[in-house]
Amino acid sequence: MGYVLAIPLLPAAAFAVLAPLSRRLRNGAIAVSVGAVALSFLLSIVAFVATLPGGHEAEAAYHAFVPFAHVGDAVLGAGLLLDPISASMLLVVTLVSLCVQVYSIGYMHRDERIGWYYAVLSLFTAAMLTLVLSDNFLQLYAAWEVMGLCSYLLIGFWHEQEAPRKASLKAFLTTRVGDIGFAIGLLVMFNTAGTFDFATVLHGMEWAPQTATAIALLFLFGAMGKSAQFPLHVWLPDAMAGPTPASALIHAATMVAAGVYLVARALPIFEASGVALTVTLIVGSVTALAAGLLASVQHDIKKVLAYSTISQLGYMFVALGAGGLVAGMFHLVTHAFFKSLLFLGAGVIIHAAHTQDMREMGGLGKHLKVTTVTFTIGSLALAGVFPFSGFWSKDEILTVLLHEGHYVALAISLLAAFVTAYYVARLWFRVFIGPQQTSDLHEAHNEMLIPMGVLAAVTVVVGFASPAFAHFLGHEGEWPALGMALGSSAVAASGLLLGWFMYGRRTKVINTRAIKQRVDYVYGALVNKLYLDLTYEYFIVRPYQRHAAWLGRFDSNVIDGVVNGAGRSWRALAAVGWRFDASVVDGAVNGLGQLVKSAGGRVRRLQVGRVQTYQGLVVGVLVALMLWIVVKGV
Amino acid sequence: MLSIIVFLPLIGVVLIAMLSKERESAARLIATAVAAVDLILASLLAVNFDVTGGMQFIEKFDWVSGVGIQYYLGVDGISLPMVFLSALLTLVAVVASWKIEVKPKAYFAMILLLEVGMNGVFMALDFVLFYVFWELVLVPMYFLIGTWGGPRREYAAMKFFLYTLFGSVFMLVGIIALYLQAGTFDIVALTDAGLSPTFQWWVFGAFFLGFAVKVPVFPLHTWLPDAHVEAPTAASVLLAGVLLKMGTYGFIRISLPILPDAAAQWSPFLAALAAISIVYGAAVAFAQTDMKKLVAYSSVSHMGFVMLGIAAGTAEGITGAVAVMFSHGVVTGMLFLLVGMVYERTHTRVIEDVRGLSSQVPVAAGLMAFASIASLGLPGLSGFVGEFLSLVGAWRSDMWPGWVIIAAVGVLLAAAYMLWLVQRVVLGSPSHAVAEIEDLEPREIAVLLPLVALTLGVGIYWDLLLRYVDPAVRGLTALMGA
Repeated sequence: MGYVLAIPLLPAAAFAVLAPLSRRLRNGAIAVSVGAVALSFLLSIVAFVATLPGGHEAEAAYHAFVPFAHVGDAVLGAGLLLDPISASMLLVVTLVSLCVQVYSIGYMHRDERIGWYYAVLSLFTAAMLTLVLSDNFLQLYAAWEVMGLCSYLLIGFWHEQEAPRKASLKAFLTTRVGDIGFAIGLLVMFNTAGTFDFATVLHGMEWAPQTATAIALLFLFGAMGKSAQFPLHVWLPDAMAGPTPASALIHAATMVAAGVYLVARALPIFEASGVALTVTLIVGSVTALAAGLLASVQHDIKKVLAYSTISQLGYMFVALGAGGLVAGMFHLVTHAFFKSLLFLGAGVIIHAAHTQDMREMGGLGKHLKVTTVTFTIGSLALAGVFPFSGFWSKDEILTVLLHEGHYVALAISLLAAFVTAYYVARLWFRVFIGPQQTSDLHEAHNEMLIPMGVLAAVTVVVGFASPAFAHFLGHEGEWPALGMALGSSAVAASGLLLGWFMYGRRTKVINTRAIKQRVDYVYGALVNKLYLDLTYEYFIVRPYQRHAAWLGRFDSNVIDGVVNGAGRSWRALAAVGWRFDASVVDGAVNGLGQLVKSAGGRVRRLQVGRVQTYQGLVVGVLVALMLWIVVKGV
Repeated sequence: MLSIIVFLPLIGVVLIAMLSKERESAARLIATAVAAVDLILASLLAVNFDVTGGMQFIEKFDWVSGVGIQYYLGVDGISLPMVFLSALLTLVAVVASWKIEVKPKAYFAMILLLEVGMNGVFMALDFVLFYVFWELVLVPMYFLIGTWGGPRREYAAMKFFLYTLFGSVFMLVGIIALYLQAGTFDIVALTDAGLSPTFQWWVFGAFFLGFAVKVPVFPLHTWLPDAHVEAPTAASVLLAGVLLKMGTYGFIRISLPILPDAAAQWSPFLAALAAISIVYGAAVAFAQTDMKKLVAYSSVSHMGFVMLGIAAGTAEGITGAVAVMFSHGVVTGMLFLLVGMVYERTHTRVIEDVRGLSSQVPVAAGLMAFASIASLGLPGLSGFVGEFLSLVGAWRSDMWPGWVIIAAVGVLLAAAYMLWLVQRVVLGSPSHAVAEIEDLEPREIAVLLPLVALTLGVGIYWDLLLRYVDPAVRGLTALMGA
């Protein structure tokens, strides 16, 4: 099973090969990156198959551990844990990464720094694979941070423009706010358990509820940053300034799901706490609905998808908060495929229409045949329409909520499902139907279409794996109950219908402007992103900048002022002293007069700072000290 | 072996002094050769070091026999990384300064003299010897800043000199007090002198002033930005890379094991100063408009993590402290070198004027981004190791958890000032000052590469460093517990 090690190492090696090359060589060597992830994908299939028989949640098919640090009583190390959860994640990550990398050959081919782009994609893939294979929380944290760096680099990839520069910084710092929580959670964990190993902290010990609550909530805070949960979600819409395929991989399918993965892994600690589960449920519900509403008022196609991602991640948190590990993980898997599919489709649409603004699109359906079909599949999955994958996983989540008696969360989730279907329809009709606004529309090349086809195919079939997936993770697998299926389908259908009613019909029966004016303050709040960005800007970022500047002045004026003041007073005193010394004492000693030097010269020498004088002083003190010791000691 | 490492550079100084005026350019070759041999010897030391063996390579004989002053050198797992660091950074500083034109003989002689003092401090196990080396360091650094520095060099050099001298006078008082009480200058023997807690408290205070100025700890830090801004690049590298560590090394070598009761009493105070230094340094760094000043204040913040680990007094904390000392030396060395290399080309260090390095000079920009990311403590690079361990150690100690949380917020603030620097300097389209400059030459890349390798090596395989540090720290905490 040693080949498991190669799964994360191959993309890491690709990064190590590409990064030091010159730009020209690197641009020519992107095949290294694609090849590495393709091999990783093949190995992941092998690893997945190996975990199949008798797969059970707590049972590892393969476990390896290499210590890298000995500190006090603890041995810290890098470990590989292949179990059903990590095996499924391996498949998701490598497949989406492979699709994105192939797609990028076409999408990025004109970029002069395509080599660097691929290098960072490789590093990201390596980090994400390391994360899902981690057997301890420290390694998971390390990989988590490296992914954050890759996200930063890719968001700011076109750094000559200001928006990507700003967005990358915002993304890194906002997620790092969450990471502080994660890190302190690690401190608490280590303080109690003396280790970060899953085997001990998840399965090997009884957590006191208070400690468990502390760790779980701190971890959750970290997850909220990474997985863009309310109110730390503000970085993700801005992150759309990066290249679209990178958004598909990092900001839709994989990295943003890492927070969900963290909570899923740490679920035993959340369960030991109880309170933390409720908080997770609340955070997830609020995010699912709020982000869905925010998606409904965006005009930028990528931002719709970004808010949609936030909302769907909220769904996953809802599932985990209700204790539904299988449902949460399954939604992570299905979402990874259909959302990356949507992003890749959006990339084609943006290239064809030369805009990201949906108001300037329309009628693309006639020209972009393949894109239309695949994008439609993705849309239906997102809206939760049978038989596409999103339907199955969303249904599982709703079922868990019903079974566990979380009726409020269930109601919110259904409402969010309605909103989701509505914004999906809104997007779809605006882009593909209606009057064509751009001439010269071209379908993309095959290297872009084939990955989309693959992801679309997966989106069609993977939902049927729903019971098998549950069984694979060691739980009872069931087909969805008919009542729930019909109910959620009705919700989705009505949402789609509303979208069609407002945006799909040739003759506008509904005056959207009138509606906007009627609910002006609601609409205004949504368009202004619930004023969160402004709040952070005015109450955190600017005050920090102001205070830092003030501290800078305080440092040079007050603290250093004291030092300089002390120096000046001492110099004034010393000048008096030296004058006395030079004229009176020295004068007396050197009575002959020819050795008398002018007092002014002495003083000037001091002021210019003859270091020998001071050194002499120290040596003098030392000598005196030694003499004294010798005299006293003998 | 140790004496050779310490005094070999002195031979270099003599050789350089004998050079005639016409052949003064040979000074850099002599300095390079001597520093290289010294680094090789320091590496051999590391190779032959027995990690479980405690104090090793001991050289001990009476110096002034009547009063018990000894010539006593030795290294353990805490001092060994520091010796290696100072040997490495000396070589780096010498090679980075090859182009120096003003009085090259004196310049290289000063760097070598500095190496004598630095290595001596980390090896001396007798207080008088320690003090002599400690003060010896001041002189060459004073001249490096005062002669080869920027426009306000005389002010900065004098401030550096007087400020640290002010501190070390108190240290001297502490040494004398210890001698009068225990009758020995032997640093190792003093660890079981059985000193009374009250006495310890006062002596700790005296040493605190001496060491805290050097570290520097808030609010005794204002000499640092001035010294850095005026110092030539090589001096900045050695100042931040090695000289600051003398202060924290003093805490670990002297204050903790000799005055353990006082260390426990002083711990809340040290913890508070550490947390304040971290956040304060980060905030002030954020406000800087001069690249070098930004890096200087970042040092105040990073050294705060060292102090946090020391205040914790736990095995993880002290190990973390030593790891930060090592990593900060390497990473900040890189940053100062790069800022210097950019300055040589653009003739400005004003952040606003330098923009878009990555388009114009991708190698320099890439390395600068790398160093910045290492500095903000990304896991996988060396900065994370120590900062994480000192946080772990601090959380495990008795200190108020609020300080640890404040310190953890400092990690976020480090990302803010470092990445904002990257955003303004490295990214974007090239500014006027950057438009025509050339990328790094092979010599400059060669200077930086070993530092890059160490940053990666220690960051990925922590035991590369910790295998030396951890056993020594365990011995130390055992002493403190007893």
